[in-house]
Amino acid sequence: MLRRRIDKGSFVIFLLIMAFLSLFLFYPILYVFVNSFFIGGRLTFYYFTLMFQDPLYRESIVNSLTIGLAATALTSLISIPLAFLMVRYDFPLKRLMQGFLLVPLVMPPFVGAIGMVQLFARYGAVNILLMNLKLISRPIDWFGGGFWGVVVLEALHLYPFLYLNVAAALSNIDPTLEEQAESLGSSGFRLFRTVTFPLMLPGYFAGAIINFIWAFTDLGTPLIFNYRNVVPVLIFSMVRDIWANPMGYAFTVMTLLFAVMSILLTRRYVGTKKYEMMSRGHFAPRVVRVRGWKRIPIYLSLAALIFAALIPQISVVLISFAEQWFFSPLPQSWTTRFYQTVATHPLTVGSIRNSLFYSVFSTAIDITLGLVIAYLLARRDFPGKDILDSSAMIPLALPGIVLAFGYVATFSGTFLDPFIDPTILLIVSYSVRRLPYSVRAAYAGLQQTSVSLEEASLSVGASPLRTMIGITLPLILANVIAGGIMSFSAGMMEVSDSLVLAMGDQFFPITKTIYELDLRLGDGPYVASALGIIGTVIVAVCILVANKLLGRSMGELFRA
Amino acid sequence: MVVVELSNIAKAFGQTIATKDVSFQVRQGELFFLLGPSGCGKTTVLRVVAGFYRPDEGKVFFDGQEMNSVPTHKRNVGMVFQNYALWPHMTVYDNIVYGLKVRHASADERVRKAKEVLRVVRMEELTMRYPNQLSGGQQQRVALARALVIEPNVLLLDEPLSNLDAKLRLEMRGEIKRIQRESGITSIYVTHDQEEALSMADRMAIMNLGTIEQIGTPMELYNEPKNKFVAGFVGETNLVTGVIEGETSIAGYRSVRLSPRCRMQVIRGEGLTEGQNVVCSIRPEMVQIHDRTPSDGTNAYEAHISALEYYGTVEHYSLNVEEGFRMKATRYSPRLHDRKPGDTVYLSFRPEDVRVFPA
Repeated sequence: MLRRRIDKGSFVIFLLIMAFLSLFLFYPILYVFVNSFFIGGRLTFYYFTLMFQDPLYRESIVNSLTIGLAATALTSLISIPLAFLMVRYDFPLKRLMQGFLLVPLVMPPFVGAIGMVQLFARYGAVNILLMNLKLISRPIDWFGGGFWGVVVLEALHLYPFLYLNVAAALSNIDPTLEEQAESLGSSGFRLFRTVTFPLMLPGYFAGAIINFIWAFTDLGTPLIFNYRNVVPVLIFSMVRDIWANPMGYAFTVMTLLFAVMSILLTRRYVGTKKYEMMSRGHFAPRVVRVRGWKRIPIYLSLAALIFAALIPQISVVLISFAEQWFFSPLPQSWTTRFYQTVATHPLTVGSIRNSLFYSVFSTAIDITLGLVIAYLLARRDFPGKDILDSSAMIPLALPGIVLAFGYVATFSGTFLDPFIDPTILLIVSYSVRRLPYSVRAAYAGLQQTSVSLEEASLSVGASPLRTMIGITLPLILANVIAGGIMSFSAGMMEVSDSLVLAMGDQFFPITKTIYELDLRLGDGPYVASALGIIGTVIVAVCILVANKLLGRSMGELFRA
Repeated sequence: MVVVELSNIAKAFGQTIATKDVSFQVRQGELFFLLGPSGCGKTTVLRVVAGFYRPDEGKVFFDGQEMNSVPTHKRNVGMVFQNYALWPHMTVYDNIVYGLKVRHASADERVRKAKEVLRVVRMEELTMRYPNQLSGGQQQRVALARALVIEPNVLLLDEPLSNLDAKLRLEMRGEIKRIQRESGITSIYVTHDQEEALSMADRMAIMNLGTIEQIGTPMELYNEPKNKFVAGFVGETNLVTGVIEGETSIAGYRSVRLSPRCRMQVIRGEGLTEGQNVVCSIRPEMVQIHDRTPSDGTNAYEAHISALEYYGTVEHYSLNVEEGFRMKATRYSPRLHDRKPGDTVYLSFRPEDVRVFPA
């Protein structure tokens, strides 16, 4: 359609978008990259060798990798059977269960960590209970020095993403492929192993790799567990002396390389196995209705998972309403006083206002950029289209800690200096990080909308701009809004960018305030929990709405 | 009402050549058909007229005015898409008046014109429904109304009936023809269905492999095909290969040797020379069937019935004359007979009914 004629316009917009991405995505990364090798004007690999010679650094790298791998393995063990169960079987209350299963989406793991610490710390509720019951004489170290705490919490937070992803892959499998195998005599686990599983594997890997990167680079959770010998925490602590110690650059580059390499490897693997294109048309996935006693194991396992997944959230809720919870299995008395504190204290009120402010603006940027980029990709042809496509997707592989460190390194001393006023950088970092989701959401909408609807509008005399506003936009509005809501809720609970970039407490967003409060003795953790619950409720409402608007395609947002 | 003219249109997509050297003129108020097998480039030509594609070569004229650089939305073309492309977020009424709003028509004018066009397409009811609440035939009528209401220079129809079931398709053929005639809008209609083209077209162009094979009225194309593609594509035909013989034939006919045993008499055509390889086309309905050797022995052959399909009003014979020489014959209003597959019969046809093309 209309290709050559609009080429120039598309190309100009393309250049503008690339200019934005160059300034806020490529340049900071490149800056960190270059400055990790050129120190004082000389090329050196000293800090990279130091990274592997220093025992503390070496241990941190091993810890982070192990956390990433273990969390991904645990998440997979939960998600694959769960997706199979939820896609292929039907039973009463399935929708309700589905809703509960997605609850961990709404709370950042580092808030859940506050709850976990309360329950499972050395003198936490569980150990106290067990000791009161005389089942143990000395407290048990549930977290394995923090490592297992982080792994379990990451898995409990991340499994919904992977589950949605695998479920989407699973329901995209043409049932006739399995029916063919059955007609040839295959069934049960053999059928799953030889046909179903290989077919959903590309979708699984695409989700699992994102999972790995998130667990590998998560900053908030290890901080709360005070498990400090991991790469993200090292980088975080090195931001303060970013000018004195180049080690932070080296670690940031190393983190980025790991993320990029794992994405590339997955892409390579998944790219050779594109099955979805082979079958055409619509089909109803195979669903078996479970009857009688066979439902019991299903309910039991789902209930166990939901309970485990909700433990951190429940605990945070309890803390937020507890007058005092110390050396006892449950709080001794209850209060809403900490919610009143949240609603009145300048720091907490300010942080909610800040978060809303940052998120609204970053969402506006995301919606605009996402819509324009998706439209260019889906409907226009111009030189550089491939570059735009990959550039918009790069933030998927980009750990938040890397971008945040890059911003501090690049923009300190400029008019955007985060040590002076991080507002613009926070807004931009939130929007850059979530850009792939809003592009994908809008792109999916455009893909589902026939081009001839737009051509019909042109043919009766509407200009291209009028067509876009009157026809295209209303048709993909649900997707655009859903993408926007995802951006908004992600911004409200964004951790790494917020912890790194927000320096002065008048600029603190919700997450940074929670972190700072949790460090304080006295009522700090209680107020932090109350604030966490408020943030979580905001996010929960957003996600519910987005899920309704996007339907099944939501799972496909979170993949490489 | 304009005259649409295309001269030497060529369009390629990457390495694939969609059309080359396509030229034709559509007269004022004419219903012009582009007929051809799928992939022949007919839709590409239509989209060039609409302005969705810019041709690599050649020009499009509306009433003698070059349109190449005019974007679609300024060409004033009404288009009916294969999938109707009704906007699902607008009611029937809003779909129809959209083009009028774009043209800044007054509210009164919008109501009046919408009413008028809804009457023409017989959709006065249901104007407040959404497209997904309409049947296929109703959606079709709305799509037509939406294209007609802007009083377009040209009406473009891209396989508009291909998504309808057989019965509705027949009904809509008549409807579209009537509406086109009543509105008098110059129209170009793309289809691969030759019955649709034959029954509706004022004139038509047969396309194959990106080029036009022949242009003419349905009757001209059926009776006087210029080449074997047109003969084979428009209507059923028997194609038999042979070699032109010398001037040995009777009654001024030319003789074509089909095999060592068989020859066929054809009328003298220009450009037929001795020894030339040719293809002869004989329409099945021109083939007579006899129980005994016909008295006039010109183009009469003994044959076996290999299959016989009886439909009541018509009956189809598949006949074997000899190895490599088979004929289909169609007989209308067949009388009672007891022929059956395997029987020996005689077939004949007049030399005047044979069309000869270079092989």
